[in-house]
Amino acid sequence: MKSKLSFESVSPNDKLPEVTRYITQEDIWRFAASSLDCNVVHVNPEWCKRTKVFGETTVMHGGLTSSLIMTVLINWAYPLGGKIAKLEIKLIKPVPPNSTLIFGGLVTEKHPIGKGEDFVVIELYGKNQDEEKIAIGKAEVMLP
Amino acid sequence: MDYLKELAKYVKTQKQKIFDFDFLKNADKYEVWDEIDFNRESTSKITYEVTLEDLKSYAEGALDTNPLFVDEDYAKKSVYGEIISHPNFSIVILFWCLREGIGDWIRTPGSINPGHRWEFYEPFRVGDIIRVKTKPYDRWIKRGRHYLTYQMDFIDQNDRLKQRYWCTLILPKTRADVAKIMKGEHVIEA
Repeated sequence: MKSKLSFESVSPNDKLPEVTRYITQEDIWRFAASSLDCNVVHVNPEWCKRTKVFGETTVMHGGLTSSLIMTVLINWAYPLGGKIAKLEIKLIKPVPPNSTLIFGGLVTEKHPIGKGEDFVVIELYGKNQDEEKIAIGKAEVMLP
Repeated sequence: MDYLKELAKYVKTQKQKIFDFDFLKNADKYEVWDEIDFNRESTSKITYEVTLEDLKSYAEGALDTNPLFVDEDYAKKSVYGEIISHPNFSIVILFWCLREGIGDWIRTPGSINPGHRWEFYEPFRVGDIIRVKTKPYDRWIKRGRHYLTYQMDFIDQNDRLKQRYWCTLILPKTRADVAKIMKGEHVIEA
């Protein structure tokens, strides 16, 4: 990875720095309060034990997974004025509390359209401590 | 364990203090998959006025305290000129504005999130007053599971489209299925 990020400096196969987080039930409750998404599958361990939607456990919000994938893009592109234009995320595997998650991305395409419109395509991933994919994504990021 | 008491420990903002976190309370009245009218577009009656504490609280909850989202001095010197929203902040606006009536299926107990799609035009900033325009986009059945997608447009006080979001969930098919979930029965396969 080059030190100063710009559209010119980026090449296909450049890796974005990974983001790692250890997720607890407390983190899930905090996200629920801050996002206002209080679906019982995230916040109510007793309900989850009874209904067994995801085994017997709560699961982390898909919204938090999505946010952390966005963090990979934010850390990489925002400091120099880059902008996420489009993003699609597919959630593959539910994440129970006490999981270690790693998120990252790879530049796969470069689109030299014109100043102010140039963008790159990033393929994104999230995996757990067992190297299982929990999410994949694809983003278009505009770079100065 | 009283999960609502646990949740209350993380409440910080004015909006969070008045928001009802009990999504089970009126779950039997939420919209359900087989009753969605695909000819019905709507704009939320409830609007969301973005405050500094809202933006900071979401960043903390999302485990992303990038100074652009939480540090006013840093953000002032950045290319943005002020604190901006984390791009997924729209989720907060959604749950605030769609708490009853059209679109309240996003609160359905036991629903499963298979993934989403976004187009980002402008970050949300302090003082923005946002309304959500909802439009049923697709409904389908795959491997016995019932998917629903709405297109959600986030529009500010100057009629600018800030973000477009295609929100998809796997939902119980009927109101009878929701009733089973409320009784603690297993209805949707993860």
